[in-house]
Amino acid sequence: MSNLISSMMTAAGALDAYSQVLDVVQNNVSNASTPGYANQTQQLDALRFDPSQGFSGGVVAGQVVSSRDEYAEQAVQQQTTLLGEAQQDVNSLTAIQQQFDVTGASGIASALNNLFQAFSAWGQTPTSAVAQQNVIQQATAVASTFQQTASGLATVSQDTSQQLQQTVADVNQMTAQLAGCNQQIMNGDRNDAGLDAQIHSTLEQLSNDGDISVTQQSDGTYTVLLNGETPLVIEDRSYALSADPVAPGPTASNPNGPPHLSVLAADGADITSRTTSGQLGSLLNLANNVLPGYLGDGSQAGSLNTLAESFASNVNSLLTNGYQSDGPPPVAGVPLFTYDTTNATNVAQSLQVSPAIAPDQLAAISPGPPEVSNGVALALSGLADPTAASDEIDGLSYTQYYAGMASNVGSLLDNANNQLQTQQSAVAQAQNVRQQISGVSLDDEATILIQFQRAYEANSKLINTLDQLTLDTINIVPST
Amino acid sequence: MPAAGRLLTARSEVKRACDLLVAANPQTWNGCQEALERAVSELASFQTERRELPANAGARTMASALRTEVQRARRLLESLASFYRGWERILGTMAGGYTASGDPAPVARIGRLCCRG
Repeated sequence: MSNLISSMMTAAGALDAYSQVLDVVQNNVSNASTPGYANQTQQLDALRFDPSQGFSGGVVAGQVVSSRDEYAEQAVQQQTTLLGEAQQDVNSLTAIQQQFDVTGASGIASALNNLFQAFSAWGQTPTSAVAQQNVIQQATAVASTFQQTASGLATVSQDTSQQLQQTVADVNQMTAQLAGCNQQIMNGDRNDAGLDAQIHSTLEQLSNDGDISVTQQSDGTYTVLLNGETPLVIEDRSYALSADPVAPGPTASNPNGPPHLSVLAADGADITSRTTSGQLGSLLNLANNVLPGYLGDGSQAGSLNTLAESFASNVNSLLTNGYQSDGPPPVAGVPLFTYDTTNATNVAQSLQVSPAIAPDQLAAISPGPPEVSNGVALALSGLADPTAASDEIDGLSYTQYYAGMASNVGSLLDNANNQLQTQQSAVAQAQNVRQQISGVSLDDEATILIQFQRAYEANSKLINTLDQLTLDTINIVPST
Repeated sequence: MPAAGRLLTARSEVKRACDLLVAANPQTWNGCQEALERAVSELASFQTERRELPANAGARTMASALRTEVQRARRLLESLASFYRGWERILGTMAGGYTASGDPAPVARIGRLCCRG
């Protein structure tokens, strides 16, 4: 009788264990599309079988084991960080590129060409009121396009600052969530699959923003660091970042220049220079390196201001050295452009045609000797295709210099777009590897490694060959 | 096949190799190698037939796009290699602990022979 009861108990225990297996399977199916969820396996432990001692054997439900592998998770996070950076690069550079018209049909390039043509027409009829009025009109258009471009870039700069603040706020919100999850783990919810899914989904989102490293501690909690050293989450505490603009110091070349952006750790330490990847890294690079290249900062004027200042001061210099009329007494010319001379980073934004100038005050006569009645007008039209180094910037004419700025943005954007596409593939690859690596035996893993090693060697050689062949191809294909 | 067509075919083969690398499945690695071999073959043929190609910027753009795709394939292969290198170190540690110098033990290569009658 006791054996019968024992057998029934064993069968009941097995049914209970299998019921738990089914629960786990059902949970896996239900959560198949839950972000961050990893399949779980119900382990079955064998019970001792020794009828003489009263042990009737059977199985009992053991631990629920997650198939999640932290190394594979880390690989996905690393690729996601690079994806976040590439995505932000594309977004920001697209906004910058919109400020530059590379076709020359509008914007600064077109306005400069129109002004050079107006100078040339004025040179042919130096006393023509219509030609003089046209010069004023086209000069106003040049000033206006400089202002628009500077203003557009300043808007991108402000947007970047706001995005940085928002990204930091998002990071802080996610790290607070993770600290809450750690609290639950410390309260005993370590094997909660839903909590595990929430943590890993949050970590994946967080990795989009910056280079995070995640370590699971022996108590099951997750420690999260930014850039490998700045604590974001430890146990049930989160450490908030902050973003601040930093104005140039009083001893800077341009003390009134645009501020840089910085990211501070919870203890106030400046981690800007270490934050180079993810969305945060991209935004900081844009704010502190790319945009200052055009708009300037404490130590540089920026290429847009350099162009505006060089062009305006050159035009003014030619005009003020000329004569409106040769008298007697001769009447000296007046400057065409005015701009902020106290702040090298505000030239493009403040550039305008002098409100005091009248068309007949434009000085066409170069005093010589010999005096030339249209010498200044011709010299101004000659700026389109300069021969003197003083009429160039870094060896380039004004239109070439502008074209260089525009093509540089285009090139950066092209690279960013390529990087984005590649990174999207790399994230998909890392996610596929994560999916495949779960629940595979060590033997199988070793076999896969051997297979990969062989495939890597063969494919790597082929890619090297292809790389050289494509380079040769580009060089031999006729371009026109 | 016209010379320009070879560039297009080579690019589609490299794209196929990229897709297989993204799948990151051991079963697809041979396919990746075959696709890259076909791309090499198309490019080699292109180089011998290039005199037929009329001068145009389109061909150069195609060649540049192909190069971008090759660089993507390289990046995907390297990222997979980096993953497996790290994984091998972890497996080595799990299977054999650490060497005297503190490095992960090398993973034992298991040789297997399968005979079927």
